[in-house]
Amino acid sequence: MMVKLMIVVPRNRKEMPVTALSIPTVGSAGKTGFWRDFRPVKFELVSPCTYDCPAGNRLPQIFEKIRDGKHEEAGKILLETNPFPSITGRVCPHFCEKNCSRKEFDQAIAIRSIERFLGDSILEMKGESEFHGISMELDKRIGIIGSGPTGLSAGYYLRKLGYKVTIIEREKRLGGMLTYGIPSYRLPKKIVEKELTALTKLGIKTETGKAIGKDVDFEGIRKEFDAVLLATGAWAEKEIGISGEELMISGLGFLKEVSEGLSTPPGETIAVIGGGNVSVDVARTLKRLGAKPTIVYRRTENEMPAINEEIIKAEEDGVAFRFLTQPIDVMETNGKIVIRCVKMRLGEPDASGRRRPIAITDSEFILRFDAAIKATGEKPDVTWIPQMFLNEHGWILADSVTGVVKDNVFAAGDVLSGPATVVGAITAGRRIARSIDQYLRGQEMSPEELLERPMKSAEMNIAHYELRKRECNPVLSPDERTKSLDKEETSGLDLGSVEIEVNRCFSCGYCRACSICWIFCPDCAIDLNENGKPEFDYDYCKGCGICSNECPCGVIMMEREER
Amino acid sequence: MAQTVIDTANHIAAYAAKAARVQVVAAYPITPQTSIVEKIADLVESGEFDAEYIRVESEHSAIAACIGAAAAGVRTFTATAAHGLVLMHEPLHWASGSRLPIVMPVVNRSLGPGWNIWADYTDSMSQRDTGWIQFYCADNQEVFDTIIQAYKLCEDGRVLLPTMICLEAFILSHTYMPVKIPDQEKIDRYLPRYDPKWSLDVTNPLSHANIVSPDWYMEFRFMMHEAMENAKQLIPKIDKDYGNRFGFEYGGLVQKYNCKDADIILLTMGTMGSEAKIAVDNLRREGFNVGSARIRVFRPFPKEEIRKLAENTQMFAIVDRGISFGMEGFLAEETKASLCNQKDQPLIAGFIAGLGGRDVSFRTIEEIVRKSAKWMQNGRIEKETTWVDLRE
Repeated sequence: MMVKLMIVVPRNRKEMPVTALSIPTVGSAGKTGFWRDFRPVKFELVSPCTYDCPAGNRLPQIFEKIRDGKHEEAGKILLETNPFPSITGRVCPHFCEKNCSRKEFDQAIAIRSIERFLGDSILEMKGESEFHGISMELDKRIGIIGSGPTGLSAGYYLRKLGYKVTIIEREKRLGGMLTYGIPSYRLPKKIVEKELTALTKLGIKTETGKAIGKDVDFEGIRKEFDAVLLATGAWAEKEIGISGEELMISGLGFLKEVSEGLSTPPGETIAVIGGGNVSVDVARTLKRLGAKPTIVYRRTENEMPAINEEIIKAEEDGVAFRFLTQPIDVMETNGKIVIRCVKMRLGEPDASGRRRPIAITDSEFILRFDAAIKATGEKPDVTWIPQMFLNEHGWILADSVTGVVKDNVFAAGDVLSGPATVVGAITAGRRIARSIDQYLRGQEMSPEELLERPMKSAEMNIAHYELRKRECNPVLSPDERTKSLDKEETSGLDLGSVEIEVNRCFSCGYCRACSICWIFCPDCAIDLNENGKPEFDYDYCKGCGICSNECPCGVIMMEREER
Repeated sequence: MAQTVIDTANHIAAYAAKAARVQVVAAYPITPQTSIVEKIADLVESGEFDAEYIRVESEHSAIAACIGAAAAGVRTFTATAAHGLVLMHEPLHWASGSRLPIVMPVVNRSLGPGWNIWADYTDSMSQRDTGWIQFYCADNQEVFDTIIQAYKLCEDGRVLLPTMICLEAFILSHTYMPVKIPDQEKIDRYLPRYDPKWSLDVTNPLSHANIVSPDWYMEFRFMMHEAMENAKQLIPKIDKDYGNRFGFEYGGLVQKYNCKDADIILLTMGTMGSEAKIAVDNLRREGFNVGSARIRVFRPFPKEEIRKLAENTQMFAIVDRGISFGMEGFLAEETKASLCNQKDQPLIAGFIAGLGGRDVSFRTIEEIVRKSAKWMQNGRIEKETTWVDLRE
């Protein structure tokens, strides 16, 4: 409300008040708010963690609920953007922690560990429809091909809206990369199973062991369902294009076999070719099977695309590395694999921003191993997809915004983008669910709105915080962890540590109800609402800006007053 | 039925506050005022006196609390003395400038050093320009009656100024005298509930004591001065009306005794006025044609009454229980200033007496008159200001 300035000038002494008073005859009823040139307004921005999280998890809001002891409510907010926090809470490369404002102050918040704690604590409730607020049943049927994180995520969000969802899986077990790719010392199978059980309980149907084009006809599926989602991931291995390549074992194939019970390595000394996550997973798995793996990579550790902490753990496990080494052919001699290699040096950065490896002339040398495993990258397997849906490079033709391939056929996840992260796949699933829903309702398809810029720590008053070290997850020692394939090597944080972490959070861009503005306001022009958050009393706020200056979350902005 | 009590002026002041149905009392104890606030605390504690009693940590806070309470529109009371009063100096101006009708007994005591707790008018005289009305009482009954009258006066819309009720340390404050306390019903009829012209109200906010530009400041000051002049007109009327209702009248601004035919008129204040009456009686028996005029109200100063007295007398003998260093006694100063530009001015002799509680008895005053009579016969005064009983 704008205070109307009304000055009535007395014509003589008789019209003057008896003393100096701001009353309607000489001022504006004592409402000092009209002195103001700037007004404080609430100004919430996303936090750097939310901004950097591919799923856009609303972490400050979630942490607020944990601080209030409302774990279930916190879990519900998290599930809005991420259906599988107990999985990402273990395997995510935690993009959220990269630009955490706390990082410059002392250490980033252990966001992934909080996510894991919350994910695990709501796992048991996740099979209940009421927990997810599924209130109606829709008539439309949706077929999802592929049960990896994208398919499961899309299935979850579509089921939540009331659709009848069927997930069709080529393999015997559901989960895709979660089941067959990521080793169980990182992601215990029982966690994946619990997530899958919950989805089944919610009413999602699953058909396993059904390969499209082999066991069922693609066109038949298109007709059977109102919408079909292609979410088969990226399982085909890229060719290096060297002679003897076929002598090398497939990295993903090896991980899949281990997940199915293989417990003997293909030899003692084993070369693992490649620097990505599959390569590191293979090497660390081999170590647990008693082998001596060596990662052979053509660039250096700095350029390895694998998650950094996994590289560090591989080193701790005793995995050997041969950097700046490029295999040029592979031979089998006397039961040994002989790899002819060339030494590399790093040149100018290439399109990926990493320094390009350049072969050094006359630097060839020989490496001998019992076996070699190739993990040099994956691509989508599109052999089962009708040619009409593919472009000349063999990629699916899909609208980059809506994911529409043609009519009622949609695609999402690694099958479109090539291999990425679990969180990326989950997000792709959530977004495609929105597109499918809009399509089935006959609505115009629109993507999720992009987030504005994140709050910067310079906009917050972090003087109100105290130094406190980050709570660390207990990790098994390399000796202990390399003895078992299935023992989870990293434990979660307990409630006490989680509470410390959520309290360490600066809550960038989101009011954390600290009441500092209320304490500092010299005019008592701030009231706290029932959630402990400020309401400005513009009748008396003189616009001094102290609240804005003191706000530890940066959520109060001074706006020029228009008169 | 009116009730007669025998008590000290301090206790009587407390009873007067209760009789005036004061709503808020904020005070800090200081000798010789302490027994006023102690008595009020007792009365509030026992439930006899329905007021909010605010304990504070200094006189500055006491008067500040009273300003706040009065601004909120309630009848307000405090009391102090000497150093407590001068500590209040700054907010005294805020009270008068805000036109808040606070009533405050000042138990007149000397200012240190040397440390002295006895009667002296320098404390209240040094506050004469703060915009407060000042009454000076001669006995305990007058203390009671003046407190009641003061609320009647200062809450009047034509006045709205705070008021000091001055009474001398020990001579009155701790001396028992019989005092008639009228029926509460009669007092209530005389003094209805305070109806403020403005007040702070959370449901209808306003601010007071805010900035006033040079364009308006003088008018506000003029209105305060005008209010003092209004008070001067109202005091005799209120005194007369009060006398009719309750039986005690004090001559309005100046209580005169045998002045009509007097060649010498004693000008005094407070209890010295009572002593002066005895002296007048004794001296008249000796053949001196003398009268007494007790100045009851120092602010507003009864200039016109002084001029009238001057017209029919040959000499003023002015006794001051205080000194304006480098000038003379306060009353002498004001009297002389009042007579400026008047024809046929009387001779004026100033006497400084009774500082720091030294006794000023009727005998002292008789000596003052004898000395004045000599000077009158000679047609000129030998000394403009005489320090009475001063050691060589």
